Amino acid sequence: MSMKKLTCIVCPNGCSLTVLADGDSVRVTGNQCKRGEQFAKEELFHPMRTICTTVRTEFAAAPVLPVRVSAEIPKDRIKDVMEEINRVVIKEPVGRGDVVIADVLGLGVDVIATSSLLRYLKEEEKI
Amino acid sequence: MNVKKGNQRLRKRFGDRVRVREEEDRIVVSGRLDSWEDIVEACSMCVCKKGNKHVVNDIVLEGRDPKPMRLPAERDSALEGERPDVLIIGGGISGASIARELTKWKLSVLLVEKEADLAVQASGRNDGEVHPGVDLKKGSLKQHYVLLGNRMYDRVCRELDVPFKRCGQYVGFRGWWNYPLVRLYAWNKKYVCGVKDTQVIGRKRLREKEPQMNPDFQFALYNESAGCVCPYGLTIAYGENAAANGAKISLNTAVLSMEVQDGRIRSVLTNRGRVWPRIVVNAAGTFAEDIAAMAQDRFYSIHPRRGTNSILDKQAAYLTGAIVSFKTVKKEQGHTKGGGILHTVDDNLLVGPNAVETYEKEDFSTEQASIDAVFQKQIQTVGKLSQRDIITYFTGVRAATFEEDFIIEKGRRTKNLIHCAGIQSPGLTTAPAVALYVEQLVVEELGQEREVEKNPRFNPIRKGIPRLRELPKEVRDRLIRENPDYGVIVCRCEEISKGEILDALHSLVPVATVDGIKKRLRPGMGRCQGGFCMPLVAKIISEEEHISLSEVRKAQKGSVITYGRTK
Amino acid sequence: MEAYEVIVIGGGPAGLAAALAAHKAGSRVLVIEREERLGGILKQCIHDGFGLVRFGEKLSGPEYAERFIDEVLELGIDVLTSSFVTELKKTGAGFLVSVVNRHGVTDYQAGALVLATGCRERTARQVLIHGTRPAGIFTAGTAQHFTNLLGQLPTRRCVILGSGDIGLIMARRLTLEGASVLGVYEAKPEPSGLTRNLVQCLEDFDIPLYLSHTVTRVFGEERLTAVEVAQVDERIKPVPGTEHIIECDGLILSVGLIPENEVAGQLGVPMDAAAKGPVCDNRFMTQVPGVFSCGNALHVNDLVDYVSESGEMAGRYAAAYAADGTDSGEHIAFKTDDSFLYLVPQQLRLEDRDKKGVLYFRSRNARRNAVFTMSINGKTAYTRKYGQLKPPEMERLEIDFGKYPIQKGDELRFEIKEVMG
Repeated sequence: MSMKKLTCIVCPNGCSLTVLADGDSVRVTGNQCKRGEQFAKEELFHPMRTICTTVRTEFAAAPVLPVRVSAEIPKDRIKDVMEEINRVVIKEPVGRGDVVIADVLGLGVDVIATSSLLRYLKEEEKI
Repeated sequence: MNVKKGNQRLRKRFGDRVRVREEEDRIVVSGRLDSWEDIVEACSMCVCKKGNKHVVNDIVLEGRDPKPMRLPAERDSALEGERPDVLIIGGGISGASIARELTKWKLSVLLVEKEADLAVQASGRNDGEVHPGVDLKKGSLKQHYVLLGNRMYDRVCRELDVPFKRCGQYVGFRGWWNYPLVRLYAWNKKYVCGVKDTQVIGRKRLREKEPQMNPDFQFALYNESAGCVCPYGLTIAYGENAAANGAKISLNTAVLSMEVQDGRIRSVLTNRGRVWPRIVVNAAGTFAEDIAAMAQDRFYSIHPRRGTNSILDKQAAYLTGAIVSFKTVKKEQGHTKGGGILHTVDDNLLVGPNAVETYEKEDFSTEQASIDAVFQKQIQTVGKLSQRDIITYFTGVRAATFEEDFIIEKGRRTKNLIHCAGIQSPGLTTAPAVALYVEQLVVEELGQEREVEKNPRFNPIRKGIPRLRELPKEVRDRLIRENPDYGVIVCRCEEISKGEILDALHSLVPVATVDGIKKRLRPGMGRCQGGFCMPLVAKIISEEEHISLSEVRKAQKGSVITYGRTK
Repeated sequence: MEAYEVIVIGGGPAGLAAALAAHKAGSRVLVIEREERLGGILKQCIHDGFGLVRFGEKLSGPEYAERFIDEVLELGIDVLTSSFVTELKKTGAGFLVSVVNRHGVTDYQAGALVLATGCRERTARQVLIHGTRPAGIFTAGTAQHFTNLLGQLPTRRCVILGSGDIGLIMARRLTLEGASVLGVYEAKPEPSGLTRNLVQCLEDFDIPLYLSHTVTRVFGEERLTAVEVAQVDERIKPVPGTEHIIECDGLILSVGLIPENEVAGQLGVPMDAAAKGPVCDNRFMTQVPGVFSCGNALHVNDLVDYVSESGEMAGRYAAAYAADGTDSGEHIAFKTDDSFLYLVPQQLRLEDRDKKGVLYFRSRNARRNAVFTMSINGKTAYTRKYGQLKPPEMERLEIDFGKYPIQKGDELRFEIKEVMG
């Protein structure tokens, strides 16, 4: 039997959870809602995270463009995905939601632009 | 001096560890002590008021190794082989004002400053008070020049386009019983010492003029001629006007050694090459003694004295419109009146400074204890003073001699050298007058070789960067229409435009660093302390100087702001 | 002189929401933004977590802002960017707004003003850090600007002072970009940031958090070379003997935000010393009739969703004010005790005593099982239970004042009480 303390991050309440795992049976205490239990189980077995970062562009007026993954990825792949993202250079004025890397590392998740900054700059003829 | 008596006194206080001897042109104190305070005390004990011999400190400070002078990282031959008529060492208020006055003559003037900008040390680290001279002793050079200098300020600041305000100085006193004594003191200052504006004003008038001052003050010593100026602004203005009239200003340039032959400086080695000046002006601040030693003309010593000032938010500016402090009649210890509160030309308040002896000439770090001490004292001047209003603070190091007076004279052993040393408070006030005197000394000395002609093209007028926020709407509007960059506000706290920043980058003494821009225009000096504008200023510098952002510096070489692209 | 019914000062999330609301309420609106682009600080907040309350999605800052920006542009609302308000003046009919931009100095007339000027960061000097003044000391927001907008790495090895949210987010951000974050030091015994950020920004990356510790001194002549950290006592004073030196080239400060109300000062808008923003009524109107305040200029929010909410209300009521321009001036001031850090707004307009109102507050202390109470003339009228209240987490609630018999001259008192069990 193992015990792990977690802080629930589903909502701002930040419940302090205690997870008791014994083989396949998992007991969560300290949660105020169901989502907390779900969170604890996932956090224990397959923790998932979002990455928000930037990609390089070739435009001086906006040397970097913000991006994120379209859905959560396994926590232990953050570093690999960052490396992929850091290889990209944006050459076109992509917009918010546009795919920058499709199916990154075969994780079934895209890296998407989170800003139309380059579009706005293009319209203003600044790039 | 009476050497025998001097040694007796020293022996009584320090045993056999320290001795004094008198030489032809100086008084030398030597030995070994393990505390700097003791060294200062020992040397001060040997000061001789009669005659014209200064104390030279040769006492070894045991167990402590004062840091060597900070040197610029630059190494090149930019100045190699230059033969200026005059080499000025030091780009503080003294050096810059002397350079400007000398450009009235057909002389080639080279000013070298080891820092990355003018006014980085004492001239950039003081409260900017233009003193009335009410607290100085008659007969000192300080007192002589403070009266002359104070009177010159209106004209100088008008010529150089530098904001200057005669805001007046109030020194509050408690206790009516002190009144006759202070009246007498004021009378003496006014009629004997020549500080003609000295008055004693009563409580009612003080309350009218300075309502936030402590209501316990029954009367105050008032000098309406006291004023305030931005000390580094004035130094840079002097430097720019000197440059406009032909002087060459070389920053990041330190004097490393001198070649002296037959009582004359032949050449001066800098980190940017060897120069061959006809005459050298030593305006090196706390390092004046080191320069004097290089020139084989060391007849005085500097004992550095630190002082810390706090700058308060404009929201606190209502606390005083002038320069205020208080005094008790009982004699105070130490060499400063314990500071005061000063309403600056930029409408902040400055509180301080204190005074602490130090052997480190370039330790500008700050300590909470200094600020606490100053506030504890000044809260008695203005009750509502609060550390909560502090937006920043700084430390300066004053270049005091043991005689606590200026040394402005030709070299005693070395002929082609002029010392402008021991310049501490009120050195900013005295600078315009001292510069005229040094100008005279230089012209006299060089005139012995061949006649020095007037520079017919000398123009005393400097046009500063327009301060758009202070201009009437219509003028501001017109200037923006002529140059739209004046309409792009970069610094929101101080309302500084991109156009003004570009002007500073294109000025006659340009310093393309974040601090250089800050000193010239004030972005980063407001309440956000550069949080919003620093990246924008850095970007403008990078674009205008065609360098990458990671090459933009805060100040001197090595003070990079970023480490290059993230990707 | 061009005239608008509503002029919104600030084009961040509060200002954009205010402009949209005022426009939809039928006003002719002008937004004045001092930066080059709309979006305010969200432009550089590229992390996600925005919009959970409002859109039920975890958006990044730019995504959240651009939803509003696009709507403002589609509706054709007038916007001035790179434009700086230099002067605000009360005139007979409303307000005179002087603006400086590349075109010169232009005056505009406004029926009502919405001040959405955001907040600024406390600086190193304001937390009394001593020592030298090298390069390499940044507020978290400045470091974020360099990293996320300019694509520049501000530090390779840093210490973060303060556990405010931007500091925590920058800890993760800099780590992702290859810098080492040696630790986050927090002078208070409790962290200041949201729990979510403590977990995802620090724990995930094994960045240690040191509570009751502060940075006391910085070293370095050119670039920062080290900082001195020390433990602090209950009064946040460093404990002698606990100092140690950490070699680093960067110090990032996340030591608090202060509402920016410099323009409000020009109109003599009275301020609430606790919230550090203007004293407002339930319509988010300040005590200067026709001047409204919202977002982080009003009080520092944790969630942008509530910034937009207050912006919308301020915008809508500003439009209404500009349309009829009347103000009865009758208010009931909310009385609070020191169980609150602050409560915003601070007043109820008498004429709105039958309406719903939104309240934002922070508890002064961390509490469990607390009850938020409103009493009228000493009698408890409204209560709401909270399992947990923490000063770093702002709470929002809606009260239907119409349910209670509130009369002119009544005393409305708010308290946070402890309940047993």
